Amino acid sequence: MTIHNLYIFSKNGVLLYYNEWNRLNKSGITKEEEAKLMYGMLFSIKSFVNKISPLDPKEGFLYYKTSKYSLHYFETPSGLKFVLNTDTASQNVRELLQQLYRQVYVEYVVKNPFCKLNEPIQSELFKSKVDELMKKSPIFLNRSL
Amino acid sequence: MNYDTEENLSELEWMGYEVGYRIVERLTREWVRFKDELDMIKFICTDYWSSLYHKQIDNLKTNHHGTYVLQDNEFRLLKHLANHNSNNNNKQYLRECPLLIAFTCGLLRGSLSNLGIVSIIKAEITLIPTCKFHVEVLRV
Repeated sequence: MTIHNLYIFSKNGVLLYYNEWNRLNKSGITKEEEAKLMYGMLFSIKSFVNKISPLDPKEGFLYYKTSKYSLHYFETPSGLKFVLNTDTASQNVRELLQQLYRQVYVEYVVKNPFCKLNEPIQSELFKSKVDELMKKSPIFLNRSL
Repeated sequence: MNYDTEENLSELEWMGYEVGYRIVERLTREWVRFKDELDMIKFICTDYWSSLYHKQIDNLKTNHHGTYVLQDNEFRLLKHLANHNSNNNNKQYLRECPLLIAFTCGLLRGSLSNLGIVSIIKAEITLIPTCKFHVEVLRV
């Protein structure tokens, strides 16, 4: 099992944070371009899922899976979006994303008065806490792919 | 960040003073009178600090001539900015810290003043989130 990379988007689609751990394939475009592409796709999937659902969609879009990786999506009621790419075998990723929100984002961004919301996160403490959380998760297993 | 002008800091300090002056009235309701100055400072370090910041002062030093140093190793207002374990990020927000500390300095000054101690409070931060408050008692 492994964690590939993480995106955090604000309500308005600003890329607040990006980090990667085991990513072999580069997109070949700049990080900013890639973030826009990613956000656009998520936005479309979200509205697609909500429109096409034959039942009450409740939580809406949760994740998708390809033959190689899974993309997990977690959106807070405030519109903050956490996107984590893992391999296809990973379990309980949703829980990990909730933890990331509650124990890291709220603690070290929201409670830090010098972190502006809706702007890329600069806090070094936040960055090290994200890294720490990911690395101690059972999903994170640094396997040479 | 250009909020930390002298004026803004002294305004924050003054608000702290007002709050401190009132809050100590409430917190000492159930207490008998303090024996001496050290007794009051001890009250500040324990009960007072716990009711405001949910922990006690970690270290109290005094020269027995009216100077006290109160050290909090994980000051509540600073602990989300940086921590001790990471060596490289302790300095990141050091410049903005006076803004977060000014209120607390006033709080201490106001509280002590209501207990009958006129003092000057200075704060010192070298490594976030450790904070030292220097209390200098003024005797007339």
